[in-house]
Amino acid sequence: MKLKLTIIVFIVFILQSKGQNDKYQINGSARSYLFANQLNIEKSLDSITPRKSNYGHNLLDLSISIFPNKESEVIGIFRLRNELGGFWGGGVVFDVRQLTLNGLAAKVVKYSIGDIDLQMTKYTLFNNDEEGTLNEADVFSLRRDVMHYDYFYKNNSWRMQGAKIEFNLLPSRNLEKIKFKGFITRQRPTDEQGRPERLFGGGNVGFIKSKNLFINLNTANLFDLKKTSVSDSSYLFNNVTSSDFNYVIKSDSSFKFNLSGESGFSLNKYENFSDLDSPISKNDWFYDISTTLNFTKKKLEFTVGFKDIGKDFSSPGAQTKRINFSKSSNLYQQFTNDYIGRPLTLSDIINGNSNNSVKITPELMAYNVVYNNTTPYGDATPNRRGIYFSFKDLDTGKVKGSHLDFRLLQESTGSGTLRKKVFILSQLGTQVSLNKFFRLKKEFMFNLGYRNEITLRSGEDFEKINLNSNFIDVGLRYELVNHFSLVAGHKFWKANGNEFQEVRDMYNNINDFENLSIDFTENITAFGVKYDFGNQNALTIQYQNFKIKNGGSNGVDYGISDLIILFNLKF
Amino acid sequence: MKINPIYILCFVFISFISCRKEDNNSFDGPSLNDLNGPFSIISSLNLDEEVDFESGEEINFDVELSKNTLWEIEITGQTSGAIRTFSGTERIINSTNTAWLGGSNTFPSFQQEKAIVKMTFPNEEDSPIIIDSVNILSLKKDKGYLITDFENGTGETWSFFNQSGVNASINCNSDLSAKGSCFYRWEGTVSWDWAIGSFQVNAPEGGFGLPANAGNLFFNMASKFISNTGADNCFILLWFDEDDNGDGSFNLETEDRYAYEYWYENDKWNLVSIKYDDLKYDGDGQPVETNGNGLLEPSKLIGINVFFLANKDSGIKSEALVDHIIFTDNEAYKP
Repeated sequence: MKLKLTIIVFIVFILQSKGQNDKYQINGSARSYLFANQLNIEKSLDSITPRKSNYGHNLLDLSISIFPNKESEVIGIFRLRNELGGFWGGGVVFDVRQLTLNGLAAKVVKYSIGDIDLQMTKYTLFNNDEEGTLNEADVFSLRRDVMHYDYFYKNNSWRMQGAKIEFNLLPSRNLEKIKFKGFITRQRPTDEQGRPERLFGGGNVGFIKSKNLFINLNTANLFDLKKTSVSDSSYLFNNVTSSDFNYVIKSDSSFKFNLSGESGFSLNKYENFSDLDSPISKNDWFYDISTTLNFTKKKLEFTVGFKDIGKDFSSPGAQTKRINFSKSSNLYQQFTNDYIGRPLTLSDIINGNSNNSVKITPELMAYNVVYNNTTPYGDATPNRRGIYFSFKDLDTGKVKGSHLDFRLLQESTGSGTLRKKVFILSQLGTQVSLNKFFRLKKEFMFNLGYRNEITLRSGEDFEKINLNSNFIDVGLRYELVNHFSLVAGHKFWKANGNEFQEVRDMYNNINDFENLSIDFTENITAFGVKYDFGNQNALTIQYQNFKIKNGGSNGVDYGISDLIILFNLKF
Repeated sequence: MKINPIYILCFVFISFISCRKEDNNSFDGPSLNDLNGPFSIISSLNLDEEVDFESGEEINFDVELSKNTLWEIEITGQTSGAIRTFSGTERIINSTNTAWLGGSNTFPSFQQEKAIVKMTFPNEEDSPIIIDSVNILSLKKDKGYLITDFENGTGETWSFFNQSGVNASINCNSDLSAKGSCFYRWEGTVSWDWAIGSFQVNAPEGGFGLPANAGNLFFNMASKFISNTGADNCFILLWFDEDDNGDGSFNLETEDRYAYEYWYENDKWNLVSIKYDDLKYDGDGQPVETNGNGLLEPSKLIGINVFFLANKDSGIKSEALVDHIIFTDNEAYKP
């Protein structure tokens, strides 16, 4: 370890003297993140768990980009992390965070090998946002950004290890361009005992007629490599094939009217699974078509669409959730006198105490019906059909980033009964510059997000569902003096009703329903100060109080308060 | 002709939409009605008062429930104590899942008696218990090659061996028999030898009339150990003697004798059933050696010896019963 430290320090000092030049670049980030927690729970419920804990870390990410020639780039990011309490090298972890080789072959083919970020459409490969954020306040997003950075969650892409290529063809006067993209990644190594190596590969071909019309053909495939384990090892093959398009029907200086959509199918094959319940194959279809009217001068955009996703549509690349709700939080993992696992909360997700996905998985992961029941797996959530519409960009100068989304969906196929669940989801958000209203010189921002979700199913008592979930996300940021701001925010979640949540096996077959009776309230209040150094560098000191009532099936009322110091520096 | 791209796109999407079949008659996952729905009996059990199994009649338990749930039907012979059970989880109970042809689960078999029918729903709290009865006018016809049911005494060609002090004979007591009213019984204390007694059923002239193929022929017998019982304490030894040379007699030195041991399992009547072809292996699964041609030929079977053995050191009386010796085709006997 000492040798590694010496090497890093040596590199930093040597390169620092040179700065940046044509052959290499040095970037990086440093972070100090400290928490002081207190668990607030009645002693009669928990007399065992220590009430207070402190944890945190300091880390340095050093990114070195080397340009051997004009067509090549080598990127390496090295991480030094020291947990709070480590001293003189104790508790220090050295990681290689990224190694990537980028290049341009024959001035035509762009390629990347190593750690690559991949994203396609919302139905083929898409890293959906996690629950609990809607025009989120700075006081929360400062911490959430840390989690996103650590897990490479940026622009809804998945970080994978493999290779990708990209090139264009300019075929004829009928088409402006044909774009080719392809990738292959490794999702799982073999254990050489029956679990074969698993790869994920795909790509798309884009036919671009003009700036007003394009059609893409997409494919994403998750598959096991035969002969990488014992001869009769199980074998999974998942294929998603789709086409998406965008067609600008009419466009002028005042408005633009376009039609877009995507449709396709998925196919799952299972071979040599010892489980007698394993299906031989499953397949299903989907389509999603929408039209958008954009009043460019008024900065108003209106979209209306219709979608239908089959119950067996399976797209691991687009359905894998960021947060694993089946795992307990990493903080106070077990609590109460009965040592029960503490279910995940919004606070855990924001503070990075959740178990997060770094690989895509063919199994539909567990979700919390309170946080998202309409589209728990994003737009590609199976067994959903209905209409949606949205308004966007109601920008008046004082009000920014406003949006209103509405979805009225129902199940394509009833679950457990012929009657189908209906989902009504309404979301709105806005950001208001209060300083413009009050004519203040310093920035004074107010942001608001509101989400209401209703799940209904009529019928007999044993099948009836009525679940109402409300979420409010508000925040304030007031700049006291230059770069120094007061930040505050509050998240409030309240849900009442009942739901029969699907319990699925590893083949995504529903084999039971969990009868949930929900009376849930979650409050997170946070406030503090933030000092901006510019370029996304900030120091913030915050206090957060979190309370939950009847959270999870265990029905334990408790809370956690945190004092948080976060110093984030990028260079 | 120039085709507007919007028409192509519309065509593609309409094609996709039309590909999806609307299915409003099925749902995903297990039925919530079955899991959580209320239980009720929509159409209750209504049995005939009597049944004539010999003439081919059968009993159907026609019941309709409000949901798929576990149901159990137990039919008990009031005199014989014979038991026949049915169970399932179907909502509709009818001849496809509960046709009673007169048999029991194991020995003892039903007699001409009154049978009590009890239907229960174990997974449904506070569910009713349905009780009904039916009079059995005649018994089902057995399919197979009956060697003896002890109802007509011993045959002229039978031979016997009994240790000193052992009583062995046919008893006719309908409360104790496995089927019918008679059975064979050994009773006695033998402190010097495991062998208690045996009888040999010798084939009449022309043999037992069994088929030649040993691969789908089953030997069946009812057996019950009453005293000096326990694991490794008593067993029935069966010998199957084949007349390989066809001279009408059995010579152990030159012909095939196959043996089978049935050891104590419990104190009830049990069905001893073995595929004839499996006699070529011993209890450890090893091939047996015989003195004849080594071929399993049931059509040449000339004698069946039923031998009762019990622990000589236990110091108590040994007692065992056997009944209803029959060969069946393709499957074990159904009592």
